[in-house]
Amino acid sequence: MLQATEAVLMEEGLSPLLEIPVADPLEQLVRRVQGGETEAFEGLMLQTEKRVLSVAWRILGDRHLAEDAAQETYLRVFRSLPGFRLGEPFEPWLVRIAVNVCYDLGRKRGPRAVPIEFLELPGEAASSAEESFLLQQRRTLVRQGLAGLPPGERAALVLRDLEGFSTEEVARMLGIRPVTVRSQVASARAKIQAFCARLMAAPQGGRP
Amino acid sequence: MMTPHVLDQLPLWIEGDLAAPETAALEAHLSQCPECRRAAERLRDSQAWLREALEPPFEAPDRQRLRARVMEQICTGATAKPGPRMPLRRSLLLASAATLLLASLIWNLERARPSRPVHPGLPAPLSSAMPPSRPEPTPQVSRPRPAARPSRARSPESPPLAEPARIEFQTSDPAVRIIWLAQAKPPSEPIQTPLEAP
Ligand SMILES: [Zn+2]
Repeated sequence: MLQATEAVLMEEGLSPLLEIPVADPLEQLVRRVQGGETEAFEGLMLQTEKRVLSVAWRILGDRHLAEDAAQETYLRVFRSLPGFRLGEPFEPWLVRIAVNVCYDLGRKRGPRAVPIEFLELPGEAASSAEESFLLQQRRTLVRQGLAGLPPGERAALVLRDLEGFSTEEVARMLGIRPVTVRSQVASARAKIQAFCARLMAAPQGGRP
Repeated sequence: MMTPHVLDQLPLWIEGDLAAPETAALEAHLSQCPECRRAAERLRDSQAWLREALEPPFEAPDRQRLRARVMEQICTGATAKPGPRMPLRRSLLLASAATLLLASLIWNLERARPSRPVHPGLPAPLSSAMPPSRPEPTPQVSRPRPAARPSRARSPESPPLAEPARIEFQTSDPAVRIIWLAQAKPPSEPIQTPLEAP
């Protein structure tokens, strides 16, 4: 696909090899899409779709909603790409759009403390039934804890601790100050821990 | 004498978010205080559980499906970026999309009229027995794009006959939005839209 695209460019005398080397490996692709080469958008997706799906699922807690969010994110990205300033790192810009889409979809879904998927207990291989049960119970608990956080804290925690962005990057993506990110993730970590401690300390009556 | 407890700093320390001097002071306290050490252990555990529980469920086929859906929408012109090198193609795409939208609108209006024959001036296949999703392109539209989906347009569901139906179609160019206003007329008159019928 990419090769074919390059061949087309060569035919038209627009060699992509003439570009100045750039720091962001995605910038080359962004440039090509901006130049009207729609097919290059697939390359951009290939490089970033894992990230977008992951962010969306972790924020929304629902697989199908996350897939919808990822799709909407890319359509928005494609529409907004003409206004994207080259030289700016692409991925944080993309993630920022994804977070906004998640907020929109989350609002549309309405208030629901715990997304359905986070309550599911999918069967998974474990060394014993009891171990499996406890593991799933713990997963469910942690997901409930995350889903119960205020949206700002949840997004900050997802981006900082789960996606591994730096505090400064998270601040730029969320449009808040780094000091706010720090206090949000600190609060979120403490809440998750307290939530788990409270419920895991409780006697486990419902064992199989 | 022991320094004050550091419980409120632990959530930052646990992920390395404290500056070096604060970190040193906190760790000095931890070495002396079993209570704060236990709290640090609990936080370390819950952070590990968080990472384990939030491992995304998506596999390669999920990503491929996403890519296919997005590229389909982009390439069909429903969201096509105005390429400066292809103005003709773009206008054709818009014309195709317009035809499809117009067709589905007309179909809706027709459907609302019981047992009326299709108006002769309308594009051929709009029989009321046919679903609106894939109307045949008219001869003027040389590049039919079947996936210029009506679903991308915000179309009101079955507009009542008395009120004008409004269809908005946002092109990829934020400055270009196509809006149809269609008023259902008595059957003898053709349906009017701001666009000329193809
Ligand atoms: Zn202490």
